Amino acid sequence: MAANPMTQFEVYRIGPEIKIGTFDISFTNASLFMAISSLAILIIFNLGSKKNSILPNKIQLLAELSYSFVSKMISDTAGSKAKPYFSFIFSLFMFVLFCNMFGMIPYTFTVTSHIIVTFVLASFIFIGVTVIGFIKHGFGYLKLFVPSGVPVILLPLIVVIEIISYLSRPISLSVRLFANMMAGHTMMKVFGGFVISLGIVGGWLPLSFSVALTGLEILVAFLQAYVFAILTCIYLNDALNLHH
Amino acid sequence: MSKDPFKTRLEIAKKKVSRRNLEDKKRNPSSIGTAFKLSTELVSAVAVGTIIGFILDKTFGTKPWLILIFFFVGVIAGITNVVKSAKNMQK
Repeated sequence: MAANPMTQFEVYRIGPEIKIGTFDISFTNASLFMAISSLAILIIFNLGSKKNSILPNKIQLLAELSYSFVSKMISDTAGSKAKPYFSFIFSLFMFVLFCNMFGMIPYTFTVTSHIIVTFVLASFIFIGVTVIGFIKHGFGYLKLFVPSGVPVILLPLIVVIEIISYLSRPISLSVRLFANMMAGHTMMKVFGGFVISLGIVGGWLPLSFSVALTGLEILVAFLQAYVFAILTCIYLNDALNLHH
Repeated sequence: MSKDPFKTRLEIAKKKVSRRNLEDKKRNPSSIGTAFKLSTELVSAVAVGTIIGFILDKTFGTKPWLILIFFFVGVIAGITNVVKSAKNMQK
């Protein structure tokens, strides 16, 4: 039964096996939930933007609120130069948020609890931001690794340190989201298992913990999507406005 | 002539809105975000440093030395990361 708290993260194939060469690209439960969350975003924002009434209904309100939330976040952290990248950051935020939130529904699969998913997202951001930086500033972008006002003797060490801290960005970005989601869901499963094993006598305490954890997990699901998007904005800000 | 009652009500409402905006700024979720950020910042830089050291060791055949050096460089990079984001938090 639900003895092992890690079985919820198992990826299994749905439907026929599809192979290209040696790569297995079959449709799995992870792909199913990614498709579901993308579809949900599409449906909500299509319905929300279909008729622009002055008195918005609930779906339109949701769409407008999330639009202004992300727009404010971008202008606060990355300035007006980052406006062209609004659509990217908005879809990124919405995708991570919906994946996290769909994971909170019982019997669903949390896509973002797999490091490969978050790492691919983070490395796309990393490569994209680096390319944008080089396009905007040319080789002047390398000045990011050379802080001003450093003595020449220390320079080689400082440059190596700066390069390592630059390379650590995608890892810290992906590990943060993955670890938070996986730890939270494992903990919820463990406490759920305690409720079953302690029965009607002692099961009330872990049950109350479970209820509290569910609330906490919903907060974490939102917050991690927010952190993911805001860090993308910060990295974009570094690439667009080159200063220290 | 006494003040227009609508105008006084408008002023009160405006004051309320501005006060609420101020409170919102204090409770900005980005501060929680940066707090979450700090924990992984340190670890990831150490990991990247160690991986770079490992790869360089393999290519140059200088088995234990470069991994040791880059491990400590990674630790320093992690600490500077944390200090940087802590400084950003105080802005």
